[in-house]
Amino acid sequence: MCELKVFCSPSQFKAAKEAVNAVFTDIEAHFSPESTDYSSEIVLSLYQKAYTLYLDSGGKFDISVGALSKIWGFHDQSYRVPTLEELDGAMRSVGMDKIQIRDGRLILAPGVQLDWGGIAKGYGLDLAANILKTKGLSNGFVNAGGDLYCWGTNPDGGSWRIGIKHPRKSGFSGILSISDEGAATTGDYQRFFIENGTRYHHVFDPHSGFPAKGKQSVTVVGPEATFCDALSTALFVSAHPGSILDKYPRYSAIIIDSDGNLTTLGKPVIFVSVE
Amino acid sequence: MDRRRFFQTLLAAPLLAPLFGETGSGLKDCTLYLIGENPHVFFYPLLEEMQKVALPQAKYFHFLHPHPQQHLLRGILLTHGWQEKVGPTQIDLAISFCRLKNKAAPSFSFVKSGQIWDARSWTLRSIWKEMNQNNPPSSCLTIASLMGRTIETHKGESILLCADGRKREELSLKEERRLSFSTHKGHISIQIAGGEARVSDSSCRGKVCLYSPPISHPGERIICAPNHFFMEIQGPSLDTAIG
Repeated sequence: MCELKVFCSPSQFKAAKEAVNAVFTDIEAHFSPESTDYSSEIVLSLYQKAYTLYLDSGGKFDISVGALSKIWGFHDQSYRVPTLEELDGAMRSVGMDKIQIRDGRLILAPGVQLDWGGIAKGYGLDLAANILKTKGLSNGFVNAGGDLYCWGTNPDGGSWRIGIKHPRKSGFSGILSISDEGAATTGDYQRFFIENGTRYHHVFDPHSGFPAKGKQSVTVVGPEATFCDALSTALFVSAHPGSILDKYPRYSAIIIDSDGNLTTLGKPVIFVSVE
Repeated sequence: MDRRRFFQTLLAAPLLAPLFGETGSGLKDCTLYLIGENPHVFFYPLLEEMQKVALPQAKYFHFLHPHPQQHLLRGILLTHGWQEKVGPTQIDLAISFCRLKNKAAPSFSFVKSGQIWDARSWTLRSIWKEMNQNNPPSSCLTIASLMGRTIETHKGESILLCADGRKREELSLKEERRLSFSTHKGHISIQIAGGEARVSDSSCRGKVCLYSPPISHPGERIICAPNHFFMEIQGPSLDTAIG
């Protein structure tokens, strides 16, 4: 479900809402874990972006982690820590090098399961925002929960003021002021379970098969929500987020590490820390 | 209780919710002020009356403060298809609660776009009659505001202090301070500490402002009507939130 704010007539708003719903219905149909669509134009287009991120992040962003999500029970909320044998088995089917494009379709090696969760929502936001802009809606935002795209000005005529949820407390870690940009957050608090005092979350390091360590949340801001979405995952997983972000000079990152320390990386962004 | 008396009672109350001040925004908002021990009995028909003039399609509600009958009010709203929202998000109906210093006769009133709304209907007349005939005096004030707004769960940055109708100071909440003001009607002292502000002394008779809990979130205010004084937490306000 999305939050949509645009400034227009009631009839325009109805059309805008229907357009956004249609985009996300389409995204759900093509990119849900159950989808077996490997050949449509939209899937191939997003695959190319995902593969670019895979290469630029040294494999830290990887859409082939579907098997990991399954053995850790995140696909159906049957959370559990897998055995080492299960982990070894799942890791054999992780890696975008096990996916090829042949005759206009993705060919997956045996056992490979796609998880588009780290990029599809951002892609949907870009598609939805573009449609709304072409309909003549000059100010607005589409907020899909963890991710958002905004354009034009807010009702006060300024930049949009976006609260970034605090990863450990109610309220916000800070407030972004942005316009004509997307923003996406990946955090260890969004989906997790605790076993024997250890927090296991849903953002996996494709190189270890375990939930990534070292950060509580990463928010990325930049011109395309698709890349914000994927980069927030890549930077969350990577121990060297700066080296990835160097390849994306139009993007910024706000990182809260596992000790709660907040740092910003990349292109300067207006971010007011609440604490 | 007539309407003038009703609002005299309200103005003497610590208006913990940021609702009262926002009614002057000029938007198509409507706020219900309901005094009574059992607000859930009368709440839904009164809400339906409000929806004739404000946000007829509204469906998301949120409790800004704990309410003694929260589970009953929630149950009624859920039964009628409303959905509860928590965390930083956009809501249509904000429900708050405030305990009056003195008990008052059960009653209700509406404020629409900053003015008392003189709504007259058979339904309202019968509710008013039933409330006054069969219910004891109460100090429970339920405030339900129909207006699109974002739940503010972040702390404010500063506090605006106004006396005798004009701004006196705007102070950062980060600095611990104590201040005293003389007004045309008396004097009042405030204390800022730990990101919160409260009234620490007042010359008013009821001392309702003195007993109000500290305020810290944008829009929250404490009013001392006898001293013609109010203070309100300022920004930052948000357009939306992610994470």
